[in-house]
Amino acid sequence: MTSPASEAAGDSLIRLEAVSRTYRMGLVEVQALRSVSLQLARGEFVVILGPSGSGKTTLLNMVGGIDSPTSGRVIVDGIDIAALDEKGLTQYRRSRVSFVFQFFNLIPTLTARENVEFAAELVTGPRDPVEVLEEVGLRERADHFPSELSGGEQQRVAIARALVKDPPILLCDEPTGELDFETGRHILGLIRRIGEVGNKTVLVVTHNTAVGEIARRVVRLRSGEVVESRENSNPLDPQELRW
Amino acid sequence: MSRVRRWFGAKLQRKLLRDLYSSRGLFLAVIVVVLLGVTFFEASFLGYRNLKSSYDYSYETLHFADLAVEVVQAPPDAVQALESIPGVRAVYGRVNTEVGLSLPGEEAKRVLARVISLPSGSRPPVNDVKVEKGRYFQEGETDALLAEKSFAEHHQLSPGDTLHLIFDGQELNLCLAGIVTSPEYIWPAKSRQELLVSPETFGVFFVPEQTAALLSGGPEVNEFCFLFEEQADEKAVVARIEEALAPYRVMATVTADEQPSNAALQMDLQEFGEMAEVFPVMFLLVGALATYILLTRIVHNQRPHIGLMRAVGYSRRQVLFHYVSFGLIIGVVGSVLGVVVGYLLSGVVTTLYVGMLGLPYTSTSMGWMEWLAIEEGLFLGILPCFVAGIIPALAASRIAPAEAMRLPPPPSGRKLLLERLFPFLKRLPSLWKLPLRNIFRNRRRSLYTVIGVALGVSLILVSAAFVDSIDYLLDLQFNHIQRYDAQISFAEPQPENMLGEVANWTETTVVEPVLQVPARLEYGGEAYSTLVVGLEPDSRLYGLYSLDGQAVMPSPGEILLSEGLQHTLDIEVGDALAVRSASAVEQLRVSGFVKQPMGTYGYVTLEQARDLVGGQPVLSGLMLDVKPGCLGSIREQAYQIPGTASVELTAESLDKVNELMGLLRVMMWVMVGFGAALSLAIVFTTVTVSVLGRRWEIATMRTLGESRGRIAAMLTIENLSLGLVGLLPGVGLGYGLAMLFFGLIESDMISFDLVVFTDTYLLATGLVVLIMLLSQLPGIRYLNRLNLARVAKEQAA
Repeated sequence: MTSPASEAAGDSLIRLEAVSRTYRMGLVEVQALRSVSLQLARGEFVVILGPSGSGKTTLLNMVGGIDSPTSGRVIVDGIDIAALDEKGLTQYRRSRVSFVFQFFNLIPTLTARENVEFAAELVTGPRDPVEVLEEVGLRERADHFPSELSGGEQQRVAIARALVKDPPILLCDEPTGELDFETGRHILGLIRRIGEVGNKTVLVVTHNTAVGEIARRVVRLRSGEVVESRENSNPLDPQELRW
Repeated sequence: MSRVRRWFGAKLQRKLLRDLYSSRGLFLAVIVVVLLGVTFFEASFLGYRNLKSSYDYSYETLHFADLAVEVVQAPPDAVQALESIPGVRAVYGRVNTEVGLSLPGEEAKRVLARVISLPSGSRPPVNDVKVEKGRYFQEGETDALLAEKSFAEHHQLSPGDTLHLIFDGQELNLCLAGIVTSPEYIWPAKSRQELLVSPETFGVFFVPEQTAALLSGGPEVNEFCFLFEEQADEKAVVARIEEALAPYRVMATVTADEQPSNAALQMDLQEFGEMAEVFPVMFLLVGALATYILLTRIVHNQRPHIGLMRAVGYSRRQVLFHYVSFGLIIGVVGSVLGVVVGYLLSGVVTTLYVGMLGLPYTSTSMGWMEWLAIEEGLFLGILPCFVAGIIPALAASRIAPAEAMRLPPPPSGRKLLLERLFPFLKRLPSLWKLPLRNIFRNRRRSLYTVIGVALGVSLILVSAAFVDSIDYLLDLQFNHIQRYDAQISFAEPQPENMLGEVANWTETTVVEPVLQVPARLEYGGEAYSTLVVGLEPDSRLYGLYSLDGQAVMPSPGEILLSEGLQHTLDIEVGDALAVRSASAVEQLRVSGFVKQPMGTYGYVTLEQARDLVGGQPVLSGLMLDVKPGCLGSIREQAYQIPGTASVELTAESLDKVNELMGLLRVMMWVMVGFGAALSLAIVFTTVTVSVLGRRWEIATMRTLGESRGRIAAMLTIENLSLGLVGLLPGVGLGYGLAMLFFGLIESDMISFDLVVFTDTYLLATGLVVLIMLLSQLPGIRYLNRLNLARVAKEQAA
């Protein structure tokens, strides 16, 4: 499915063409995506909604280049990333996308600053790690280990890590799943602001329907298929969210 | 340089170091195993090289003979003809005889003195001596002698002391000019048959040629010592020498390899070298296993991190190298420390050996072989850990990023084959059922635990088997074979009525004669020089046992041979053996082979032995059973007999042997400790990894109400079961290794029966139980302190 905005703009950064994904989990075969087609414009803020097992994380992983489709194409900025070799995919992940995960996925033996530097060292000309930590409001906590940070602080470190590479695409998998209500709203506000300021294409995956209200476009998945894709003409401020 | 600095400063490297630190206990355990293995290798190999180098240097400096030939008698100028034999570089003719000797202040006591002639004023071209104290003979000096160092030290002799040689009813007083070491008596063996002789009964001395002529009753010599040219064909030269000396009746031909002291040292050295090869491999195998287990666990635990690394943009190669580095660090740290500690220990081992043996020269140079050994030690330590680490590292690098992010599927849970075969197992309470299922749940880890325990047990057993076998050997030799309390040896054969004289002493209860005749045993082109021992057919003081343990005694016309001779002469029961003495040649039927832990002899009836000395009714010694508390006075009385050369007390000989075996025993117990440490390290690793991996399920059990005690009991049952399973193959492997080592040191000089006492099996079992219990303590402590809420939250994450 495509959005009228991206069609009109003729500026789709990300295009999924009949993407399917099947994988084996132990003795069980799971069809995570069934011939999904989708287009996302440059600078769009999109929320992918769906219950557990709907394929939303798999879709995110496809765009992030950390999973490959069983069939179909994933075109990002004109390049079919599904056809890239390992080296190409690594380079893509370094320079084109960044992830924010539900469980933060910080390296426990590195401090906040070091976790950010961990990503910065992979690219030439990264942003300044301290500056990025300041942007997320954690400059004073830069030398603390994850075990010394609250859930919200850990997620902000993860966001800083994602930003330090200055990627055009930001992929967030249930970024508020482990956070309390207030912190969650704060994080969502941070992510949306970062996307707007940096003109980044942001994809947020969540099962929380309320979160969809802050996006310009909402795509709903069920059982591996896109069942709805709608524009949101009046996206809410994250602080106005209630769930 | 900046690239290198960048690499070292990279966060991936920092993560590596901090991950190592956070599991430092586990890593340390594996590093210790690698360290022990490399230490063992370096200490053994470098110790071996140092000793070999020292022996070689001593032999070269003192012109140790390539060959010694004993003849009945030859003129001194026979040397000239021998010098011209192609292949002979140098030759020295000398007197080598045995007389009685009494010591200053102990004139009533006598020892058997081997007296060897040396030139005065100049050094012999072959078999020189090193003066440790005092001086060498001066030109024309005749009233001096030199004493071999070990004897002199035992009796606290000093230059200037007066010693008395007793021969042919005469006494000769000589001044001790110097204390020397000889390349022929570094190990002061009397003969290949008598390797362990007490300095209370035997010593080696050197006298000027003119003095030796007095002792032997003429200027004739009875032994020639040779040095060969570098490229000489030894066999051909020996044949020519024997041919040249045939007119003088060759009694024995002894090459350098056969020379008793050198043979004993080389046997010991060979064992050293073998230990350097075999034992370190066991440690390094366990080190590799432990590395593999540890890294597999780390990769499993760090799946989300691996997914993150790939998602952020780290390449497969970077992930691979990151996890390979864990194994490399274990290998490098363990090896480097092992090389250092091993090098230092080799110095200690060398010093101990040199001190114990009294080597004339020590050589510990670091040549290319030694540097090669150090490189080999590093290689041996690093390679197994690198290879073991590569497997889980490759797995880590190959995990698809998305797959790494997903929860791994739960391990397959199914009933065991054992439960299907033995249905009663299904009805076991969970206290027993869970440990049983856990053992088979991770079969590889259980197998590695069993292997680690088996290797450790085998090391314990092979070391303890040495000690048991030595104890058995000594018991057999000194309680069952040598049943006498004392043996009087005469310098020359004495008439048989000596028996009656001594039997009348109030201190004796039983007295038996013995006649030892130097002879050459010849069969099928092979020959062996030894002593043929004549015993009374119904001897109570000397026991002989067939190979299957039956008591046997020689019969007329027959000879019993020590078991080693069966192989040496390639001879069987029923074969006819030629026994050649100085006076006669007898053809005797081999009636059997007897157990002989120390030495190699032939046994005949007393009458048969007398035939070998021309039919004279003589004896060379008397075996005595003595009333309690009378040993001292027996010795004094024995020395009153004019022909007495020495009086051996069995208890004293046993003490001396135990003293010599002391260092070996200590080394074996150190090895037992090593074996226990090896098992402890691997079991600690596998148990801790297992506990850490199961903390979620254990937290769940605790949440459900299971007590700490029962959880600890389940863990104990699981570990003890694995330990006991490892015990059986460990015992088998240890037994096999012991047989391998015993086979290496088996020779005509010493013959070990591999014996393992029941106590030793109990010791091994007890140690395994202790190791399993100790190694699980940190894990149990960790489980007891689990924060149940936090673990449950982690599990949800």
